[in-house]
This record gives sequence, C-alpha cells and structure tokens, in this order.
Amino acid sequence: MIMRLKDCHNFSDFRKLAKLKLPSPIFHYIDGAADDEITYARNTSAFDDVDLVPNVLRGVENVDLSTTIFGKKLDLPFYLSPTALQRLFHYDGERAVGKAAKKFNTMFGVSALATVSVEEISSMIDTPKMFQFYFHKDRGLNDSCLERAKAAKFDVMALTVDTITGGNRERDLRTGFTSPPKLTLSSLFSFATKPMWGINYLTKGKFELPHLQDFVKEGTSTNSSIGNYFSTMLDQSMNWKDAEKLCSQWGGHFALKGVMSVEDAKRAVDIGCTGIMVSNHGGRQLDGSRSPFDQLAEIVDAVGDKLDVICEGGIHRGTHMLKALSLGAKACSGGRLYLYALAAGGQAGVERAIEKYKSELVRDMKLMGCTKISDLNRDNLRFRRT
Amino acid sequence: MSLKNCYNFEDFRKLAKKKLPSPIFHYIDGGSDDESTLRRNTDSFNECDLVPNILASVGKPDLSTTLFGRKIDMPIFLSPAAMQRLYHPDGDKASARAAEKFGTFYSMSSMGNNSIEEISNISSGPKLFQLYVHKDRSISDDLIDRSRRSGFDAMCLTVDTLVAGNREKDHRTGFTTPPKLTLQSLISFAMRPNWVFNYLTGKKFELSNVKKKTDKGTSIAKSVIEYINEQYDPAMGWKDAEYCAKKWNGPFALKGVMSVEDAKRAIDIGCTAIMISNHGGRQLDGSRSPFDQVKAISDAVGDKLEIILDGGVRRGTHVLKALAAGAKACSFGKMFLFSLAAGGQKGVEHLLQNMHDEINRNMVLMGCKNLKELNSSKLIYRSRS
Ligand SMILES: Cc1cc2nc3c(=O)[nH]c(=O)nc-3n(C[C@H](O)[C@H](O)[C@H](O)COP(=O)(O)O)c2cc1C
Ligand SMILES: Cc1cc2nc3c(=O)[nH]c(=O)nc-3n(C[C@H](O)[C@H](O)[C@H](O)COP(=O)(O)O)c2cc1C
Repeated sequence: MIMRLKDCHNFSDFRKLAKLKLPSPIFHYIDGAADDEITYARNTSAFDDVDLVPNVLRGVENVDLSTTIFGKKLDLPFYLSPTALQRLFHYDGERAVGKAAKKFNTMFGVSALATVSVEEISSMIDTPKMFQFYFHKDRGLNDSCLERAKAAKFDVMALTVDTITGGNRERDLRTGFTSPPKLTLSSLFSFATKPMWGINYLTKGKFELPHLQDFVKEGTSTNSSIGNYFSTMLDQSMNWKDAEKLCSQWGGHFALKGVMSVEDAKRAVDIGCTGIMVSNHGGRQLDGSRSPFDQLAEIVDAVGDKLDVICEGGIHRGTHMLKALSLGAKACSGGRLYLYALAAGGQAGVERAIEKYKSELVRDMKLMGCTKISDLNRDNLRFRRT
Repeated sequence: MSLKNCYNFEDFRKLAKKKLPSPIFHYIDGGSDDESTLRRNTDSFNECDLVPNILASVGKPDLSTTLFGRKIDMPIFLSPAAMQRLYHPDGDKASARAAEKFGTFYSMSSMGNNSIEEISNISSGPKLFQLYVHKDRSISDDLIDRSRRSGFDAMCLTVDTLVAGNREKDHRTGFTTPPKLTLQSLISFAMRPNWVFNYLTGKKFELSNVKKKTDKGTSIAKSVIEYINEQYDPAMGWKDAEYCAKKWNGPFALKGVMSVEDAKRAIDIGCTAIMISNHGGRQLDGSRSPFDQVKAISDAVGDKLEIILDGGVRRGTHVLKALAAGAKACSFGKMFLFSLAAGGQKGVEHLLQNMHDEINRNMVLMGCKNLKELNSSKLIYRSRS
C-alpha cells in the first residue's frame, strides 16, 4: 500500500496516493474523462503499438535532454500542461507547480482557470511560462486576460480550441463535482473522510479564479460545474478569424491547443501560430476521437518544419516521450503526469514526479544509444501493424 | 438508483435489471451462443477514431435528416422489438409516444402487443412496420394492408430470422411468452412484485397483430424460439421479399442485410433502404458486426439506398462514426428497451434526450454544422492505416 511520497515511483503510484488524499469528487475530476473513456485509455495504449529499436556501442555517458520550443530552451523535452483549479488539488496549487517547473527549467502552463494570478506567478518564477487562453463571450474578459499575461511577461499564449462545449464527464455528474466544491449529502461523506484536505482548503486562503473574477460570477463563490462553464461562458462561434486576431493582438509566440487534423494544422501555420498541441484534452472532451500519438506522424509530416509540434496527453513514461520525440514532436506535455503528484505531495510531489520522468528519460536515452534529443528519429521505431 | 441518475446504456441496463424478472431481463440482454457478435457490435466502434476540426464556428448544429421520405429531427430511431408489454405495462404506446416527441421513427414489430390501429390512433409521428413472412401468407398480406390503412410511413422485412437463434440464456431461464411460471423462474418473479402486479392487472397479454390469424398469438405459453420456428417461413426467398415490397408500394427496407451482394440485390427488388443488422447479435453468432461492414456496403450502394446501421449503438459518438462511414441513420433495440423497462415513456424520453444531447455536443466538438459534414475524411481506422 502506498502511503507516502517516497513510495511513489511511477504514474500509477502517484495516482494511488492522490486517491488516498483527495475527496472523491475531486479525485474523479482529475482522473475522469468523457463518455466511456475510450479515448482516454487509447491516449496511453497507442504508445504500445510501436516499439523502440536501440542502437548499441555509442558512448552515452552524457545525455542532454534539452530542447527548444517557442524560442525558449528547456532543460527537459516535456513540460507541464495548463490545468484548471490547482488549489483544489493541493492548497499551494499553482505556486507548488510553478516552483517545481522552475527548479527543472521547464515550461509551466497556467490555465485561464488558475487559482493563482499571473502576476503572482511571474513574480515567483522567471523560467518559461505559457498562458492558456479560453475565448469567452465577454470580450472585456478576453482583453483583460491577454493584457495581464502580456504585462506579466508570459512567453507563450495557447488558445484552447477543443472545449467549444463541455465534454460528457459522467464521473463528475455522479459525484456532483462543482467548483468551488459544494457539499451535497452524497459528497459530504467523502469530504468528511479526508479531513486534512478539508482543513487545508478552508484555512489556506480563499479559493478564487483571479483571471475571471472581475467579470463573471463563475469566478467567485457561485458553484458551477466545469462542463457548465464551458457551455455557457465560452463563445461557441469562435472561428479562424478570431484566432488570427488574438494571435496578432498577442504579438508573441502563439499556439493552438487541441489541433487534431492535418488540415487544421496547416491553417494554424497560415494564421501565424508558432506551435500546436496535438491533443484531445486528455480524453475529457470528444470520446472516440483519435489519440495524439496516433495522429502525430501525419501532422509532423505536414507542418513539422513550420511550427513546433507538441504531443500532449496520455504520457506516463519516459519511453512514451522517446517514441513521440522519435516521430518528430518537438516536446511532450501532460496534465495528469504532474497533477496526481501535486495532490500527493504539493511542490515536493511535483518535483519528485519530474525527477522520476527525467531519470527515466536519461536511462532510456542511454539504452537507446542516444545522447541528445535530435538523435531520436523514426529509424528508432517499428510499428507492429502497418 | 433512479431514472435521473441514468446517464448511459449501462445505467439503464442496471435499472432495468432491478425492475424486471430475470427471465425477461435476460431475454432482452442475451445474444446467441457465446455472444461474441453481440459484444463485437459495440466493440467495433472502438477501432477507429474521429478527427475533429477546430474553430469551425458551429453554433447550433442541425441534426435533422430525412429517412423513408420523412424528415426526422435526429439520425437515430427505435428498432422494432417484440412484446414490449413484457418490459413495461404501457408497452409500444410508451415507445411510440416518446419517439413522436423527439421527432423520430418508432418501429412496430409483427410480434407487438399493441395493434397497428391502436398505435396509429395515439401517434402521428413517423412509424415503421416490421414484417415477418409467416408460413400462412395471408397473415403477412393482412399486416401490409392494415399498416397502409393506418398510415404507417414505411415497412421493413426482417430477413435474418428464418430460424431462431440459439439464445442460451432463454433456455436456462425458461423464458416463454406469455411468461410461464416454472419453479425456477418463480423466485425471480416473486422478487419483482411490482412487475407482476402490473402484468396481471393490465390489459391481457397478446400478440395483437396476429391474434386473429393464429392461436399462437394468444395464451399458449410458447418459447419465442418455438414460435419463430413454427410460424416463420424458412423457405422465404427474394421473390417473397419482392412481392412484399411491391404490395407495400412505399418506402421499403430489408432488415438484416450483411453482404454487399445482397445489398445490391435489394436495389433490384425495389427497396429504398436497408438495415445493416445481425439482429443485435441474437441470431448468427460469429457474424460480422454492422459497423465493420457499413463502409463496404455504403461504398457499393450508398447512392442508391438509404443505409441504416442497426445494432451495437450505445453512444452519440457511435452514431457519428456510423454516419461518417456512410450510414444515413442508426437504430437501436436493447438500449431503448432497457430505458422502457426502467421508466416507461419517461424512461425512453430520458434516453432519447441523452442521445440527442450527446450527438449535439459531439457534433460541436467535431466542428460539424450538419450531418452531411460527417464524411469519411473525419474517420481514421487504426489497423487499416
Ligand atoms: C484536472 C485537469 C484540468 C485541466 N484543465 C485545463 C484547462 O483549464 N485548460 C486547458 O486548456 N486544458 C486543461 N486540461 C487539459 C490538459 O491541459 C491536457 O490537455 C491534458 O491533461 C493532457 O492529458 P494527460 O492528462 O493525459 O496528460 C486539464 C486536464 C486535467 C486533467
Ligand atoms: C428484446 C428484443 C426483441 C426484438 N424483437 C424484434 C422483432 O420482433 N423483430 C425484429 O425485426 N427485430 C427484433 N429485435 C432486433 C432489433 O430490431 C434490433 O435489430 C437489435 O436490437 C439491434 O441491436 P441493439 O440491441 O444492439 O441495438 C429485437 C431485439 C431485442 C433486444
């Protein structure tokens, strides 16, 4: 039984410890996905349809894991995807995750639904930062997010394009997950059995969504489900023109998060994007949609020389990253790969998780006979079924 | 567990299981032999993936289409299913009313417990009549005439039930219709007193559409297997199907077509549609699943016939995949029968609302404004790529 951080050696260990620590509605908000969670499962199992082919006798004592995306050099070929509501998972929330990212010099993605402000984050860390943008109906809110992220010197803006409406997350429907947490009779029991979480939540500062709260009641104390937020607050008429306008309004590195088709990837180049995240939002939106890794090669072939292609979602292991990088991704990213660790142990937890993936990467690079990320290419891979 | 907690197929199934005596639940739930086709019908959807388009400013997608000459509000409808009064006292009436409310087809089985006339009195929504060719041809003729007189829009002839499938669950539970109380089923019925009360106090159980023509329609306890083997004509051939299509002289489908060759022949005999189906895995176990076969059939005859995918559909995304592979619409049996058992008309409405919302949501996530935009470019098969 895993009870402490130092028992955690991999993704599934962190997940188990998170489950132990979190009230069940919150755990299932992280852990769940849309409909039958088929896409969620495929995001990871897709990696198993391809095998790595190592080269031997290459002299591999020094391995350099660094990569450059969005004009920034990262010491690791993976970074932390933006995720909402981190102070629900641990009372330090974004503060913990940001500091851990800084320690390893990798990119920290901050969600529009973050629970710590961009100003505070930027005063805390000087390493690469990405702001994730949701396109709201309220244009004043959009402008404010953009200006604040710019003023706070964020390096990259990522527009999420796969949440045009809320996904069907049935676990949340059953547990009654809302933000901030609402105590219903059914969730009460679960919260009551995790008293530490409750004490921290209530005593470590008010829960808020600093990027939204001046504009919408969802930003403050009204309980709202996330699906409901997507469906009612975000502008469903968002189109390529809007994205293009945002991109030029931002005036810096700009990415679309949630591109899946080759056609859309090409269009992203046309409107001036410098990167795309091939992503299905961790299986949380359209179940039955293609996994990032399955779709990666096609997209890299079409646009890999024109913008940074990032493989996002389903990553549990260093070898998963090696496979994606071999196919041509510039970097990998993930949400749950650090979220369970955050819940399990705050900043120390996230650091431990990053350290684990890093040492896996170093070990696996050596076993592959590679010393730098650019050594990885498709000759390293064999697909089982073609 | 209540209706409002039913979010998906499995939820309705569980609630139905709680409400129904076990022989009846298993009659719906079971398939033939080892049920490998039954499972494959749904699993087959998981070997290909949807590829969405972003920033498509979809707004509110249009889910309507036309089928059998009628406009329907969404591309799904209720498959014909026998003896619905076993599942809920309101039987076919509940299903027909719910379908009408959602602007789509209700289908009536030849083995329905409500008469053609009764249903046409309560619903002006789109209606499909499902025909079996009986050994006594005057039974089939009578059903065709009455369906026309009662304003049914379309007819389908089921061609995969020449003999009964080997449904081992029914052997074990001793399922007969009307239900016969054996010692072994007695306990199960006794534990569902509500069901028994409704069954005994409601209208007399009968196969209303065939009762005048055959005493098998009334009160002799028969297993469905025996009924099918006794009444339906295993010598039915293309000529018989053509005869029915001509006699009906309106939108006409064969239900249970699986091969490309047969799909082509369906055009020749005057069909306007086919239902690709293996009877929900209840007949030939080991046969191909509708979704595995739909693309080949649609490539061959999709411009000449309306193609309906019947079987295995449990999710809005399954419908999207079927349409992207070339189907015009999907139909389902078990899913709505469980919802019927779970809550009568309200149950079926709850299911149709869920499915509507799923299709709507997923169309938005796919970036599709209408069903036509769901074409083969939106679908990638993993193993064939
Ligand atoms: C709990 C949770 C919250 C998330 N919140 C956001 C968000 O606010 N904005 C966003 O663009 N993506 C969000 N995502 C999606 C992640 O950015 C990322 O796409 C996803 O987690 C990748 O899949 P993985 O968890 O398998 O790595 C969230 C994901 C999770 C698990
Ligand atoms: C309980 C039950 C009774 C059925 N009765 C009939 C019937 O009388 N006539 C017919 O053509 N099909 C009948 N079917 C088959 C359905 O019309 C349909 O082909 C099948 O249920 C589709 O598979 P699905 O249940 O996976 O959706 C029946 C199916 C079930 C489950």
